[in-house]
Amino acid sequence: MAASQVLALALVLVLAPLLPGVIQRTKSVLAGRQGPPVLQLYADLARLLRKGMVSSTTTSLAFRVAPAVFAGTTLVAAALLPLDGRAAPLRFAGDVVAFAGLLALGRFALVLAALDTGSSFEGMGASREATFAALVEPGLFLCFAALGVATGSTSLTPMLAQRFGADWAAAAPALVVVGASLSMLTLAENGRVPVDDPATHLELTMIHEVMILDHSGPDLALILYAGAVKLALFGAVLVSVLVPRGGFGPVGSILVLVAGLAVVGVGVGLVESVMARLRLSRVPQFLVATAVLSTFAIMLLLSAS
Amino acid sequence: MILLFAGVFLLAGSGAAAVWLRRWPRLAERAYLLLAVAGAAGAMWPALRVVGGGAVEPVRLATGVPGGAWVFAIDPLSAWFLLVVLGAGLAALAYGAFYLAAEAEHGSVPLGRLVFSLLLAALVLVVTAQSVVPFLAAWELMALSGYFAVVFDDRQDDTRRAGLVYLVATHAGTLLLFLLFGTWGSHAADLTFAGLAAAAHQLGDARSLVLALALLGFGVKAGFVPLHFWLPEAHAAAPSHVSAIMSGVVIKTGIYGLLRVVTMLQLPPAWWAWTVFLLGAASAVLGVLWALAQHDVKRLLAYHSVENIGIILLGLGVGALGLAYRAPLLSVLGLAGAVLHTLNHALFKSLLFLGAGNVVRATGTRELERLGGLARGMPITWAVFLVGSAAIVGLPPLNGFVSEWLVFQAMFQAGVSRTPAELSVFGTAVLGLVGGLALACFAKVCGVVFLGRARSEAGQAAREVTPGYVIPGIALAVACVGIGVWPALVLAPALRVAAFVAGMPPAAALELARPAVSAGQRIALLAALGVVVSGLLWWLRTLALRRAGTAAAQTWGCGYARPTARMQYSASSFAAPLLAVFGPVTGVREVRHASSYETHAANLVLERGVLPLWRVLRAASDRLRPIQHGRLQLYLLYLVATVSLLLIYLAVWGSP
Repeated sequence: MAASQVLALALVLVLAPLLPGVIQRTKSVLAGRQGPPVLQLYADLARLLRKGMVSSTTTSLAFRVAPAVFAGTTLVAAALLPLDGRAAPLRFAGDVVAFAGLLALGRFALVLAALDTGSSFEGMGASREATFAALVEPGLFLCFAALGVATGSTSLTPMLAQRFGADWAAAAPALVVVGASLSMLTLAENGRVPVDDPATHLELTMIHEVMILDHSGPDLALILYAGAVKLALFGAVLVSVLVPRGGFGPVGSILVLVAGLAVVGVGVGLVESVMARLRLSRVPQFLVATAVLSTFAIMLLLSAS
Repeated sequence: MILLFAGVFLLAGSGAAAVWLRRWPRLAERAYLLLAVAGAAGAMWPALRVVGGGAVEPVRLATGVPGGAWVFAIDPLSAWFLLVVLGAGLAALAYGAFYLAAEAEHGSVPLGRLVFSLLLAALVLVVTAQSVVPFLAAWELMALSGYFAVVFDDRQDDTRRAGLVYLVATHAGTLLLFLLFGTWGSHAADLTFAGLAAAAHQLGDARSLVLALALLGFGVKAGFVPLHFWLPEAHAAAPSHVSAIMSGVVIKTGIYGLLRVVTMLQLPPAWWAWTVFLLGAASAVLGVLWALAQHDVKRLLAYHSVENIGIILLGLGVGALGLAYRAPLLSVLGLAGAVLHTLNHALFKSLLFLGAGNVVRATGTRELERLGGLARGMPITWAVFLVGSAAIVGLPPLNGFVSEWLVFQAMFQAGVSRTPAELSVFGTAVLGLVGGLALACFAKVCGVVFLGRARSEAGQAAREVTPGYVIPGIALAVACVGIGVWPALVLAPALRVAAFVAGMPPAAALELARPAVSAGQRIALLAALGVVVSGLLWWLRTLALRRAGTAAAQTWGCGYARPTARMQYSASSFAAPLLAVFGPVTGVREVRHASSYETHAANLVLERGVLPLWRVLRAASDRLRPIQHGRLQLYLLYLVATVSLLLIYLAVWGSP
């Protein structure tokens, strides 16, 4: 493992909790409010780790293992991305499938934990999460397929660590379309507006938040932290697709990534400020749109050659 | 080869022993198990040798009969399917030995054992026969013993009906196989598979007919959409160990047939490859959607077999596209994905059916809406079922992930192949969607059956069944995990089988797919990393909790203080949002009341397609009744008339 890989991975894992803070601050500024500090999530995590846990008498081991599995799979998924713009610490043919598979495993654990509580609210959240996650998959795989066609590879490292100079111009229109699709997927996968509203206050309107309603203490800390890391990973994919980092040195490339992630945070905050959450029955159309966009990208790439 | 035949005789003999020794049940049970294990081990040995890269001499019997010698051989393809048959089959047989013993009031236990071991012996013969006559004979034995195994509990109307539908479907398929081999054989010197393969390039226009007949004839057995209509009926009605072998192994003989035809014909045309690919996509999506709509656990698992056959066909389709468009990497990856998924599905699907059998045995119901909270009473069954569920969804680090990863790679590679096959890159979206839907479906099954609170008295009282019920499941779970964390174990053998089907030297295929083979070790590393990181986090949170302590309380009900088990999310309500997205193709009818919500799922193809067609056929055949008088003289007259007509035909148009 090269030093730049360690540095990039450590930075992303340490700075990930900043991202929700940036989003919140953007929303606050746009709404003319003071808002919580940018570092709020760090404080929340520290507080939750000190606290005890209230565990429902209905639950079994599955409920208690799920947060560790969710966090563990998310962290390992981070090792599959070339965060330093050069190469991922762990890369192999078809690792893109493993990336999606690890995230799915984490989700499976959380959904089962929600059903383990026997609460109808959490069942509802789990059902909606599973529904929208299933509909996200085609768009996600088509985005990766487009990147694969553009770079002639099935591994995330060549897909995202683009070194091509002149080729980039040829693939650029398709990559922009993939970027649009990926940004919509980022919002959907991470439970942000317009698919889900993390700031909502009514259980009936929640998706992700209601699914984890019964977790508390260190378990909730794990879920919140892993959620922030997952958002950072999707942000990193988005930045890698839209900004060719081939010309930068190792440090420059990592700085570009951090700056890019900040822009992603502001962007999500902007979207959340100007849009309302979609009606649940409209969400599938939103997700189908991501698949259609990435289909266009693939057609562009296939017809170009 | 001697070992293989000895194995077949021991397998068949185990059933016979179970019948002869029926007066002494304990002795019969031991003899049955012992002989069957010995038989399976005997037949497994040569298969393992061939899978490992060795060779076994073929056997030629009855060389003088018309149609050529009866050849039995173990080539890589046969060896691979022998592993599928014996691996999953032995687990199902051992489970059945215990499961049936408690079913004495529903049917004859010794006969149930006999037909099961005959089924296993027939399966071994089906995948090793290399001539048409013994192949079809074994195929028929498999179909019939399968029928009798399914209708074990023949006092139930449902079971008899399911058995009848299965019998009609399988014989319709066999009829098409007769046509297939008849057409092909008329161009060949003899009816051995080698003879047929040699005649492959003389088929001319009949080639398309042969391929279409193969797709239909073997398709009925494999059970892809829309030929799957018999499958959920039969697999749900059968005893659990029979469901396991039907879903895990018997339907795979259809896949075997298709692979065998591709091997013998070589270079399938592009239209056929595209048809297979599209059928695979349709089966995968519709299969999992229909599964999502079920709340009978065994019907649900049966529909998942339709889905997984779809995934296998996607791999086979990409492989065939690679052959048709001369893109060898595609064919190697696609075919390897298909054969590996065949093995994996056999393992985790039998595992899931055995787990479902435990649930049925412990609670007496297959209805999801009446279960819940079984994880407390049945921890081992729950753990084993969870492994199977994660495997069938295709989550790492389990075996289902490895084979789906190969199929995904084949489709990604298609995108960069610069042949017309590049369009199959859109299959990644299909496979992604199927994975997401399967995740939702198994979250539903696991959550509703094992987690939360019991929804009925039976669920409340459920306790773990005796060790005989759980050991076969544990063995299968170990295999699922083993392949998942150490894919190198199966990748090279699967690639060798793919090379055999594609007709290229094994070394070339391994060289071509070297990135995939070396990725096997990275997957092992990934699995280890995942376990270590998750374990570390678990340890840290336990440390943090040790300081701060844990309190027990009721589940948070948003202020409502008296939640009941009935208020939990049910299987129907969990699946409702997804089913609503896909609309009428799911075949679901909703029943809403003020305080309840139910869904009823229909077998659309059977009820809207096959049965109406059947009624038309029956009305038409009623017209033929008048010639059936039951008078012997009339029948003799028919015979004489037919023979005379044939003689006249021969005299006038026949060859000299």
